[in-house]
Amino acid sequence: MTDPHEVHATDIDLSAYHDAELPAPARLRITAHIAACPLCAKRLADFAALSADFAQLPKDSLGFDLASVIAGQLPGPARSHRWTPTLGWLGLLPAGIGATVSIALGIAIGGVLFSGSAALPRETAMSVFDSIPPGGLCLGLDSCYAEYPNKTGVIK
Amino acid sequence: MDDKTGIDDADMAQALSARAGDLRAFAGLVRRHQDRMFGFLLRMLGTRDEAMDLTQDSFLKAWKALPDWRPEARFTTWLFQIARNAALDLLRHRQRIEFVSLDADPSHDIVEDYTPSPEKQFSDRQRISLLQRAIDTLPVDQREILLLRELEDMSYAELALILGINEGTVKSRLARARAAALTNFRHYAGESPDD
Repeated sequence: MTDPHEVHATDIDLSAYHDAELPAPARLRITAHIAACPLCAKRLADFAALSADFAQLPKDSLGFDLASVIAGQLPGPARSHRWTPTLGWLGLLPAGIGATVSIALGIAIGGVLFSGSAALPRETAMSVFDSIPPGGLCLGLDSCYAEYPNKTGVIK
Repeated sequence: MDDKTGIDDADMAQALSARAGDLRAFAGLVRRHQDRMFGFLLRMLGTRDEAMDLTQDSFLKAWKALPDWRPEARFTTWLFQIARNAALDLLRHRQRIEFVSLDADPSHDIVEDYTPSPEKQFSDRQRISLLQRAIDTLPVDQREILLLRELEDMSYAELALILGINEGTVKSRLARARAAALTNFRHYAGESPDD
C-alpha cells in the first residue's frame, strides 16, 4: 500500500474539492489526504481564503433602472422563429409566385438589353467620341449650316 | 426552496412570457439581473462606461434572441453567455485580449513590481484592492472563469456551457486561475510565494 503523503494532491483536484465538484471516490481520497498532509491542507485553505476575499468584493450597482431606459429601444415584441405549418406547402405559394415573376422579369429585361445593344450600328455606339460633344451642341452656326453638307460628301 | 431555485423559477416564468412578447416580463428580468451583469462586465472590462454600455447592449441582444432561448437552459446561464461574448468582442476590439497556452507559467501574469507598505497590507480595504488588481492582471480566459465561479456561483456544468468548453477543461482552467490569482495577490502584497 502506498503512503498517501508521498504524492501531493494537484491544484486541479484541490480546486474541484473546494467547489464540491469531485465525484465521491475522489472526494474521499482527497479528504483522507489533506487530513494527513499539511501542505495540501494549506493549499486548500488558500483557495478557501481566496473565495472568501471574492465574497468581500463590493457589489457594483448600475445605479438606475435599465429596464425603463431600454423600454423604448426594444424593437417590438420578439417573435418566434419557429415555423408554424398551418398551411403546409401552400404557405410557400405567394413567395414562389413572386420568385418566378422576378426571375422571368429579369430574363426579359436582360434579353432586351443584350439584343438592343447588338443591333446598334458601331458608329452609333461610339457616338460619344464624335467631334460634337454629347448633347448635340454645335461648335458654331456656320459649321452647322454652311459646311456640314460638304462634310457629308453630298454634291449639290 | 433556496434563493437560487426561487430566482430560477421566477426567471423561467418571466422569460417564457417575454419570449411571447411580454415587455413587462422582460423588464422584470432586466431589473433582477442588471446589477449582476454589470458587476461581471465591470470586472471583465475595467471601465464603468463600457460596462454600462455593454450591459444595455447585452439585454437588447437578449430580447432579440429570446425566441432562440429554450427553457431547458437556465436563463442566467444563457444571459451571461451573451454578456460574456459581448465582453470578449469588445476586448478583441481593444486588442487587449491575451491568449495564453494551457500550460503557461502563471508567474508571467505579473506585470509590474509593486510592494505596498507593511501597515497597509493588513487592512481589509487594501486586501480587496490587491485582490482586484490580482484579478485584473489575469489573462481573460482565467479572469472570466474565476468571476463566474466565485461571484456568480456557476456550477462546472454551467461554466462549460457558457465558455463552450468541456467540464474537464473547466476544472483545470479554474485551478490554474486560482493559482495565478494567489500568485499575483502575494506578489502585490509583497509576500513570498511560499507564505
